Parts: sequence; structure tokens; C-alpha cells
Amino acid sequence: MASREIAQYPTATRRVLGVATILFVAFYLIWTLLPLLIMFLSSFKDLLDAFQLPATGDWGGAALLFTFEPTTKHYQNLFLDLNFGTYLGNSLIASLGSALVSVVLGSTAAYALSRLDFRGKNDLFFWIISTRMAPVVAVLVPLYAIFRSLDLIGTLPGLILAYTTFNLPFAIWILKGFFDNVPYAIEEAAMCDGSTRLQALRMIMPLVAPGIGAFIVLCVLFGWNDYLFSSIIGSGGAKTLPAATIALVQPQNIQWGSIMAAGAVTTVPMLFLGVLIRRYLVAGLTMGAVRE
Amino acid sequence: MTDQAINTGAGRPAVSPQAVVDAARPTGVRQIDYRPDAFNPAPSRRFYFLMMTPSIVLLAGISIYPFIWLIYMSLHTVGEAGQPDVWNDFKNFTRFATDGKFQNGWLLLIKYSAMCMVLEVGLGVLLAVILNRSKLEKFLVTIILMPMMMAPIIAGLVWLFLYNGAFGWYHWLLQSIGILGPTSVLGDSDIAMFGLVAVDVWQWTPLITLITLAGLKRVPQDQLEANMVDGAGPLRNFISVALPNIYPFLLIAVLLRFMDNFRFIDAILILTGGGPADATNMLPVYLFDVSFQYFKLGRGAAVALTLLLVTIVLGMVLVKLFEDPRRKIKVHGREEG
Repeated sequence: MASREIAQYPTATRRVLGVATILFVAFYLIWTLLPLLIMFLSSFKDLLDAFQLPATGDWGGAALLFTFEPTTKHYQNLFLDLNFGTYLGNSLIASLGSALVSVVLGSTAAYALSRLDFRGKNDLFFWIISTRMAPVVAVLVPLYAIFRSLDLIGTLPGLILAYTTFNLPFAIWILKGFFDNVPYAIEEAAMCDGSTRLQALRMIMPLVAPGIGAFIVLCVLFGWNDYLFSSIIGSGGAKTLPAATIALVQPQNIQWGSIMAAGAVTTVPMLFLGVLIRRYLVAGLTMGAVRE
Repeated sequence: MTDQAINTGAGRPAVSPQAVVDAARPTGVRQIDYRPDAFNPAPSRRFYFLMMTPSIVLLAGISIYPFIWLIYMSLHTVGEAGQPDVWNDFKNFTRFATDGKFQNGWLLLIKYSAMCMVLEVGLGVLLAVILNRSKLEKFLVTIILMPMMMAPIIAGLVWLFLYNGAFGWYHWLLQSIGILGPTSVLGDSDIAMFGLVAVDVWQWTPLITLITLAGLKRVPQDQLEANMVDGAGPLRNFISVALPNIYPFLLIAVLLRFMDNFRFIDAILILTGGGPADATNMLPVYLFDVSFQYFKLGRGAAVALTLLLVTIVLGMVLVKLFEDPRRKIKVHGREEG
């Protein structure tokens, strides 16, 4: 910023402002990280330790948060007794499968929409994106009936299809933006050299590949974090991690230790993916409206 | 034609020129059509339409069909367990006038969304301005976006643990500061709503920060400098130069969050489920109860249609914002948009 190049003399106001800024950022970081930290710590605590709380107003007692005997028994419980290995696999297959289906179908449709002009194209485009904006709760009943008549309830293909309902419109919308940025002249040149249209499309794929890669990761993220679909469409045979975690909340006996461990198992892979695609996150989460 | 004369020999003009060209063409070499439009074929529409078909068919199956079904259900009293559906003269819609929970649901949804928006935009923009071009920007942004990566339902569970009246750390913290009475946050109908807002603010403020940061990167430096030469301080600079530039970005962010509040009720379902005493019974939660707890599918469909209608109107506004040519030049950074 220009102001950096202008000499700034440390007046009293500036010093106070500087300190206030640092305090604000520090508080915000604590506010952001504390729930995550407590989740991770509690997942390694015996329940007796996890339920330890200092007396009201006893600030020194906050150290209790960190005083405990680490145990991995909740994780053992999850994977040895509660079958979480299967649920982890289900989550992985469903989210990855839907991401791949969405990208394959979505990129062909997006390419066509990007290259072709016809009457009503904007209306078609709006309709495509509106299928993603629709509140899930509103369309869940009819969707359930459709899936049941196709015998897809409680199966992984059913879940993949369910996730595709929100990933595909998103794919078309975002990927069209990527293809719009590739000049048609490249395909024309390829076709002059004797390529067919499909070969020409293959020719420009490397240009959109990085975007598509990041985009697959985003689709995985959306599928992985979904709960409503997996609890209703996937109920029975295709439980994913979020649905399996909710199953641990029983009215009389909430298994907090296992829940926190399951939360950690669900969250950690996504934290890494988030760092991996940080550059594309804004474009992805705003449906391409804002780019960094 | 001299070629012809050479090839066919003198005195035999009966052979047509085309036949000669055909005969002279070596076999096995790709034939080139010299008609002028062959060089620049109009894009074959059929090829493109074929590429679109699978996606369009799939999307139609999962959107138009359920939509028609929804309209049908909303006009009937849907029979349970094999009973026939009965036409009920728009009763599902007319009863909105007397349905206190429905009206309350909309009010609460708007109240909740408004509180979330104000806090998220306030905090998010402040954070973005502080982080913008600081040395630690990359590192800090990576940390603050962590909550966004979390499944909403898991976030709900973690906060349920934090708010717990017996062993929740946030319960202890709030009581120690002295702003919370003996009841837990989610058990008190006066403050349960704030408890939910806090979760949304915790998870989604980073989105506003990220979007604002993207916007701040595009604020023209010369305008900032000119303003400073005219004697403006940092605050004045922000209000009269940066804010007008990031305003379209903020508008999109707010609309997106608004629509997400309609769509994602995972955390609310697990945290309060609409309680205590309907204090957080927002419309999507009410809809979930009507359809999946009481199985009044006809009534549920009518409620769902009102929700869809509002979402579609918001979506149209959003798309108009996407297409606004003035904004597009700024956002995409390319003139042709």
C-alpha cells in the first residue's frame, strides 16, 4: 500500500491502534482455534478428564484443559468396535465418485455452453444454477421417492447420485468460466490441422486442468461434509462419517469421547485439502463470482 | 484450360475437367474440399447439444420432476400409509394466515440471518483490512479459514459440547465473565438464538474475510494515493475509496450467506432442533419437522414452495449481480467479460 512508502512517525494514537490491532487478531485467532483445539484435546481424553471443569470464576483452573492422561481408546473404539473404517470408506467413495461424475458430465456440458450460442441460453443457465440453490429440505421428500423407486436408497451409487445433484450444477457453472477463458482460436487452429472436434477439446484440456483439479477437491469437500443427504438417501447401507457420528448421539448416552474423535477424523483430511486449494477457495465458494 | 489440354492430349475435349481432377488425385491422401465454407465450418450445433444432453437430462430428473411433485403435494392432503391423496381447495396455503409457527418461522429466519450478516460482515471486513498486505497474511488466512472446512453437523456437535451446562468450556467461560445465568446457553429461550448466531459467525466469517481480501486486492492504488495527497487519513481512505470498490463483492457474499442460511440447517437441528419453546424454530427447521416428524407432506410441500420462491428471487438478484457489466470488468479483471 502506498502508505507504507510514506514515513510514519510513531505517534501515541498510532501506537494504541497498533496494540489494539494485535489484540484483536490474537482474540480472533483464539476464538477460531479454541473449538477445534477442545475437539482434538477431548478426543484424546478419558471421559472423566473431558468432563472436568474448574469452578465458575476460577481462571487458574483453565489449566485443567491441558492436564490429562492422553489415551487413544476413543479412536480404537471407533475403528475396532464401531466400524468407522467402513464409514470412512463410504465417505471417500461417495464424495470422490460424485466429484468425478460431476466433473466428467459437467465439463462436457460447460464446454458446450461456453462455445455455443442459442436462444434461451441464459434462462437455461439460470435454471442449472437454481437447482443448486434450492433448499435441500424443500426437495428432500420427492427426491427420496424417486430414489426409492430406482432402488437406490442405502446404496453407494445412490449416494453418489445424490451428491451429484448439488455438485453437477456447481461444476457446470464454474467450469464454464474456465472454458470461457480459453480462446476458441486454439481449437480452430487444431481443427485446421485436421483434428476432429473431440480431439480439439482434448487439446485445450491441459489449459483448464489446474482449475478442474482444484474443482474436484471442492466437490469432494461438499460431498464429504454433507449430512442431510447421507442421513436420508444413504440410511441403511451407505452411512458416511457425518451420519455415523450423529448416530453416536443417543438420548440417554451421548458418547462424547467417541464423537470428538469422529469429529477429528472427519475434519482433519478437509483441513489439509483446504490448505491445498486455498487459491481456488474463494472462486469455488462464491460460485465463481469472485476470483483471487 | 491449359492443364486439361496437357493431360488429355489434343483433340479429345470430351473428358470433363472434374473427371480429370478426380483421376489425378492420388488415393490414400486426405481429400480437401475447396468450397470456401469448408475452411470455416459453422460450429456443429448437434455436437454441442449432444455434449450437453446427459447433464441436462440428469438435472431435469432431479429438479423439474420433484418440483412438479412438490406442487402436486402442496395442493392435496397427502394420504399416509396407502391412503389416497385428497384435493383440499388450497387449504395448505390458506392456513398460512393462521399458522403462527409459519409466520414466526419466517420472522426468526430473517432475524437470525440479519444478526449473522451484521456480525460476519463487520468482523470479516475488519479482519480483511487488517490482514491485507500484512507480512503474515498467507499464514493467518490459512488458520482463520479452518472452521469453514468443517462439516456443519460436526461443528454443531462440537459447539453442543462447548455449550453443555455441566461440562462445556464455553458455558464455564461465559459464566466466569458473568454474562450467563445458571441456565445453559441453548436452554434459555432468550439467548439460544445468540448461541446459534455465534456458531454461524465462527464458521462463516472467514468467507467474508476471503471475499473482502480478494476485493481489496483490486482497489486502484492511484485512487488511494490521490486521496491521501488530498489529506485523507486511513479511515477516510477506507470509506471513500476502498469501500465503494469492495461493495459489489460484499453484496455477493451477503446474498450467498443468506441463501446458505436457508439451505443448511444441520447445525441448528443438532444444537436446538427449534427449541426451547420454538425460540429458534426457523422456517427450514419448521419445514423439516412438518415433513419428517409429523409427516404432513402436503403442508410441508406448501411451506417448501414459499421457501423455494424466496430462494429463487434471491438467486435471480444474485445472477443479475454476476452479470452486471460494470462489476464484471472489475471482478474478472478482463474487459470482454
